[in-house]
Amino acid sequence: MKNWNINFFAHRKYYFTISIMLIVVMFACALVFGVNLDIQFKGGALLTYSYTGDLDAPAFQKAAEKVLGQSVSMQESTDIATGKRNIVLSLPTSEGIDAERQAALAAALNEQFSGNEIETASISVVNPTIGGEFLAKCLVAIGFAALLMVFYVSFRFRRIGGWSAGVTAVVALVHDILMVFAVFVIGRISLNANFIAVCLTILGYSLNDTIVIYDRIRENRRIYGTSMPVEDLVNLSLNQSMTRSLLTSVTTASAMVVVSLVALLYNVNTILSFSFPMIIGMVSGFYSSVCIAPALWTMWQKKKAA
Amino acid sequence: MKKVGKPVFFIIVLLIAAMGYLTVAGVTTVYGDSTTRAIKGIDDVRWGIDIRGGVDVTFSPPEGVTATAEEMDAAESIIQVRLVSQNITDSEVYTDHDKNRIIVRFPWKADETEFNPEQAIAELGAMANLTFREGANIGPDGKPAGDTLNKPVLEGKDIESATAVYSTANSAGTPEYGVELKLKESGKQKFAEATGRLIGQPISIWMDETLISAPTVRNQINDGIAQITGQFTSQEATDLANKINAGALPFALVTENYNTISPTLGAGAKDAMMMAGAIAFAVVAAIMLVCYRLPGLVAIIALAGQVILMIASITGFFSVFPSFTLTLPGIAGIILAIGFGVDANIITAERIKEELANGRSLDSAVDSGFKRAFSAILDGNVTVIIVAIILMGSFGPPDSLFARILSPLFFMFGTSAAGTIYSFGYTLLIGVLLNLLMGVLASRLMLKSVSRQSWARNPALYGGKN
Repeated sequence: MKNWNINFFAHRKYYFTISIMLIVVMFACALVFGVNLDIQFKGGALLTYSYTGDLDAPAFQKAAEKVLGQSVSMQESTDIATGKRNIVLSLPTSEGIDAERQAALAAALNEQFSGNEIETASISVVNPTIGGEFLAKCLVAIGFAALLMVFYVSFRFRRIGGWSAGVTAVVALVHDILMVFAVFVIGRISLNANFIAVCLTILGYSLNDTIVIYDRIRENRRIYGTSMPVEDLVNLSLNQSMTRSLLTSVTTASAMVVVSLVALLYNVNTILSFSFPMIIGMVSGFYSSVCIAPALWTMWQKKKAA
Repeated sequence: MKKVGKPVFFIIVLLIAAMGYLTVAGVTTVYGDSTTRAIKGIDDVRWGIDIRGGVDVTFSPPEGVTATAEEMDAAESIIQVRLVSQNITDSEVYTDHDKNRIIVRFPWKADETEFNPEQAIAELGAMANLTFREGANIGPDGKPAGDTLNKPVLEGKDIESATAVYSTANSAGTPEYGVELKLKESGKQKFAEATGRLIGQPISIWMDETLISAPTVRNQINDGIAQITGQFTSQEATDLANKINAGALPFALVTENYNTISPTLGAGAKDAMMMAGAIAFAVVAAIMLVCYRLPGLVAIIALAGQVILMIASITGFFSVFPSFTLTLPGIAGIILAIGFGVDANIITAERIKEELANGRSLDSAVDSGFKRAFSAILDGNVTVIIVAIILMGSFGPPDSLFARILSPLFFMFGTSAAGTIYSFGYTLLIGVLLNLLMGVLASRLMLKSVSRQSWARNPALYGGKN
């Protein structure tokens, strides 16, 4: 591996600009596309049926709407590996759909499309109250995790200005969560429990990256004392730990790339909406740990010294 | 820990290999006719319902009904009984007393060919207001009418229990299937009065407004113990007893949420994820070998050990830890741990390289490489542990350890039914903990031991110069 010699601190304005632009684009997309909540959070019903042969999709939708007496939206998907085809009906309803109506629907569809061997693959029905409560709980979990992280980092790095280390590390974390959020918004994926799991994982993962760098800064501070200007100290530490940060990100991200490719091939959507945002979160975690958090910390230290 | 013996490396490799074999194959002891699974193998993994299909339902009392804790417990025990009577032995049932919810999760039975989630939920949730009513006057709409509507004899609350029996209590004295009914004190008097008055006439039993049975009264029943017979099959008798038991609750449970997955949907996904795991391991191993040579090889062995121990923690290999349900995100967690698990080795190997570049001898470079890398590894892993605990606490069942620890935080939110993510939190947690064992301790022992072998003295093997 080569020895790195990048003047990270001098380039900080580029990094900040890139990040701010990405975040602005993300918010613009969120405003234009809107943010979809999965039925896990907003309540409603999702009915997945598998079928064989050719299916008259519009007729299928109409038949379902007739039985249920409400409008439904419909999506089709094909499992590349098995060639199996699925049709997904979603019902944005506050009432949900009880087992009886569901059974009536399945029977009616089976009768009308008897040639397609319609089978119920999965059903998911969520009460809106419980969904909302679940979302609130998830957000509290993320907030609490972030808070614990600030305290932990502040405590462990009290020698190099604890609060500045903690707060700048968390700014980087918020950056990463926004990037994960961006994947869901731009990819038009509904926010679901996977989103929360990815956010929490990225919190821990990206902070790990930041901590390894802060650890190096702390060590170099001990070796070189306060005579070395803070930006040189940070640049040195960053370059020293660069290979490690890069390689760990490469191994972890490549594991998730493998998962994403396999999930894509076998149409395992529940995993794809987990592994792909995870990759983006990791890339962002690497970037924010190397380019954002140390630069902010340096600026904080310089301001304090001035 | 100054010197580590030369054979230590080989001992650790052998231990990992042996552990790997046991974890995959398990140990079965045969004593006479009885076969016991002494150590659980990979075939014993409990797959989550997202993999083998199944049902995940949340029941609660209807709006406006405030159930007591005892009633919720009764409801839970009835669900438990019903699951068992339906031959579902692998279920999870949690009662959330704060929010009065019962979460039921069970996989499809292995031999189940007909997938009918509606029926499964209906069977479990068939808890309704049970009434015994005078006569059997059924209106044109199938609902009770006339005296039957106006003269209820017993309510569900008056019933102690109903049991399916095979007995000779009927008038002919021939054995047949029936249901034995036991009444509470509150019901005995009412039932004695009604049965005394209605000999030769039916008393109908209703679940909500649906007739479930209409036995004819043969004689007055004073002691609160009655037999219902009527040429039932064993199954019919059991069903009737179940319904009466379930109906003994004064309210009906409604399904708040439910989630069903067909067994075919997840089967392919599991194999796909296993394959992804194998490929990911190979990719990570190749990267480590190319970048770090000998420490890379050590990292691969340690990583293999970590994965094996992770699998062992899931199968229930160590009998002190129960087996853990593995879901698709859980498998993703294992794969994530594969990618992330080499981080400790990377930090250490980088340090060793630096120390060599600074002109240190091989032994002291290895020594101080591990020493100086440790604080970063520990701090980094603590953050992931915090996250894993929060994941398990917020997505786990209410009676799990971390959910209890975090209950002051989540007191105002109900139990969440995201068992799939709970499994991810678990694999993430054990991944990090085992990483401290394998990626730090075992790696250190192995590398120190191997660096003393004559063939491994060349610093180039560690990224230094010849």
